[in-house]
Amino acid sequence: MDVQLKRGLLDVCVLAAIKDEDSYGYKIIKDMKPFLELSESTLYTILKRLETAELLTVHTAEHNGRLRKYYHITDKGRGRLSEFAKEWDELMAVYRFVTQEEKGYE
Amino acid sequence: MNKEEFLLQLRTRLAGLPPVEIAEREFFYSEMIDDRMEEGLSETQAVAAIGNLDEIVAQVFSERTSKPKRKRHGWMVALLIIGSPLWLSLLIAAAAVVISLYAALWSVIVSLWSVFASLIGGAVGGIASGLVLALTGHFLTGMALIGAALLCVGFGILTFYGCKAASRGAWQLTKKTGVWLKNGLTKKEAA
Repeated sequence: MDVQLKRGLLDVCVLAAIKDEDSYGYKIIKDMKPFLELSESTLYTILKRLETAELLTVHTAEHNGRLRKYYHITDKGRGRLSEFAKEWDELMAVYRFVTQEEKGYE
Repeated sequence: MNKEEFLLQLRTRLAGLPPVEIAEREFFYSEMIDDRMEEGLSETQAVAAIGNLDEIVAQVFSERTSKPKRKRHGWMVALLIIGSPLWLSLLIAAAAVVISLYAALWSVIVSLWSVFASLIGGAVGGIASGLVLALTGHFLTGMALIGAALLCVGFGILTFYGCKAASRGAWQLTKKTGVWLKNGLTKKEAA
C-alpha cells in the first residue's frame, strides 16, 4: 500500500480508537487488533505525530500505583475523522471508476 | 529478558537521541510491559510480546533519518585536492573576468556623470564670464558665451536623465547578479 495512504489510514484508526473515551497505548493496540496489526513502535510514532498536529492531547493518570498515559481526542481530531469520512466517499468513487475501467478492458 | 534489562538495553541502544525522547520511549515501553503483565503475562512473556529490540531500534532510527545526508566520499576529496591547481586557477580567472566586466560597467557610469559635471561647470563658468564680458564692453562676445553656456545647460539636463537611467540600470544588474549568485550557492549547499 502507498506509504502516505497507509499513514493517513493509521492516523484515523488511532483517532477512532479514542473517539468515544480516552484510552492508553496497550488498549489502543488491542482495540485495533481485529482490524489492523500495529506494533508498539509504530503506535508511538503515530501518537507523537497526532499530538504534534494537535489532533490529540496526552495526560498522565495514576493506575494501580503506577503512571499511565491517556490519549484524548481534540476537536481538531474529531474534525479530522469527519473529513476522513468525506474523503472516503471520494476515494470509493475513484475505486469504482478504476475497477469499472479494468472490467471494461477484460 | 526482564523489564529492567529490556529498558536498559533500549536506553543504551538509543543513545545519541535527545534525552527527552529516550525517556519518553522508555516510559511508553515500560507502560506496555506493565499493562501486559496486568493481563496475566509473566514479565519475560510481556517483554517478549513487545517484539525484537533490534527491529525497534532500527525502526526508530529509520524514522529519524528519512532524509539521509549525502556522504562525501574520500576519493572525491582526494580528487578535489589533486585537481585544485586546475580548477582553482580557472575559478580565479573567471572571477577576475567578472570583476573586470563589472569595473568597466561602472567606469562608463562614472564617465557619464563626469560629462554631466563638466557641462554644468561649463554652463556656470560660461554664464559668469559672459556676464562679465557683456558688462565690460564686449557685449557680443559676452552674449555668445552666455548662449554657449545655455547650450551646456540644455545638454546637461539631457545628460542628467541619461546618467540617472544608466546608473539605475547598472544597480539593478548588480542586485540581480547578487541574488543569482546567492541562490546558486545556497542551492549547491542544499543539494
